[in-house]
Amino acid sequence: MNDWKKVLIAIDDTPTSDKGLRYAGKIIGKLPGVDVCLLHVYPEPPPDYYNSGKSLADYTSQQEVEANILVQRCRKMLTDAGIVPESIVTEVRMAAELKTISETILEVQQQGGYGTIVVGRRGVSKAEEFLFGSISNALVHHSRDCTVWVVG
Amino acid sequence: MMVELADLPEEIREKLRHHRVTHSLRRKSRVFVDTTNFTAIDYGDIILVDDRYFLVTAFTREGRFGVDDQVKPWVPRVEDLNTGEHKILKLVFHETFDITFGPFTIPCYRNPEKEARVLELVKGHPHFMQGEAVLDEAGNLVRILDIINGSRVDKVIQRSGTGHKEYFNNELPDILAHYLPCVKAIGFLHSHGLRHGDVRRDHIFVERHTGLYRWIDFDYDFYLPEKPFALDLFELGNALMYLTARRNIYPRDIMADPDLGESVAGTIEAGDYSLLSKNRIANLKKIYPYIPTSLNNVFLHFSLGTEVFYETVDELYLDLEKVLAQGW
Repeated sequence: MNDWKKVLIAIDDTPTSDKGLRYAGKIIGKLPGVDVCLLHVYPEPPPDYYNSGKSLADYTSQQEVEANILVQRCRKMLTDAGIVPESIVTEVRMAAELKTISETILEVQQQGGYGTIVVGRRGVSKAEEFLFGSISNALVHHSRDCTVWVVG
Repeated sequence: MMVELADLPEEIREKLRHHRVTHSLRRKSRVFVDTTNFTAIDYGDIILVDDRYFLVTAFTREGRFGVDDQVKPWVPRVEDLNTGEHKILKLVFHETFDITFGPFTIPCYRNPEKEARVLELVKGHPHFMQGEAVLDEAGNLVRILDIINGSRVDKVIQRSGTGHKEYFNNELPDILAHYLPCVKAIGFLHSHGLRHGDVRRDHIFVERHTGLYRWIDFDYDFYLPEKPFALDLFELGNALMYLTARRNIYPRDIMADPDLGESVAGTIEAGDYSLLSKNRIANLKKIYPYIPTSLNNVFLHFSLGTEVFYETVDELYLDLEKVLAQGW
């Protein structure tokens, strides 16, 4: 089991993600020795993206710009909650090489030895989960050596 | 580069002169080395790619359910003037459209590059249409497809015209024994990161001389980043249920059937319906009580009442394989 104080918070630009972030801030904000990674994973471009002559580099640079705004906003939420800026790192990745978003989050968790994953949960129907997936459910089912905080 | 008829090799021009297609033409054939504007290509024209001369002899038609036969100008039927072989060409047509599943809308795409990758991967695989992709002079990916001599499986299973119980006991075991490797074949694509993209009952052809079931049409693609293979998997379940019932079953079908009617319709509960196909009944054992529970349990994975989904095609394959080994 990895050190639970190494916390990986998966973020995106949704209210449920903010909810998870606020919850994590309340729990770990005042604790000493906590290291946080703010992680944003975005999907590969849709199949028709390249038809207009755009390249993967165009896509990733656009995603990185948007991700940086997101990451800065989330970083501020954590520092406002009392986490020292030096203990926050950020990472932005594309879910590539046939990996889903949840698989990419777990890859970062394993590589960084994170003991806690925090993720928001929006609540989906069975049909939605079958077709579109549920990142929080996937993390709960497939995570190893860590605890998953699912904030609904 | 413009190519005129007079630029073609003499033996090709000779074949063209005597061809039945050109006999009925009131104009000269044209030669296309660039297929970008495929709507300009017509019956009797020649598509020159890969140093091969393909004479357009017809166009395929859209077979999607509920759509009247519409000509697909990007999919000409052709004859290779060198060899005399008949082929189907697929020209680049980037199309984006939405498909509705119950309350959900999924963006779908025609993806020639993906179809080319699938064709390359499945070369020699007995359960897939065969073909190759080449570039025309403008860099368009032209797919040259072998024609499968056979019929759609959903037509084949209607041929005997027997009652359902007889069909179920005498015909279905063999049909599903042929369908099972098709399920595995889709799992094979997924294991290489590729989707079929348009798994449908009419996209399985039964080859006349071998009886093999083969998947056709790989150019559709969809965008489900967290569940990239879910739609293929769901449609495999739909096809399985169709093969079993020999139709899709909706409440109106139950009411219209004198052997079923109100007494059966009244037993249908919310959880018996398909997870994604509106009003389609997945719990087929309520319609046909002689369906073994083990087979029906496979269907129920695709129902609204399910607690457990299949996550992969392999899971479906293993369950179905077990059911078929037990027999009925």
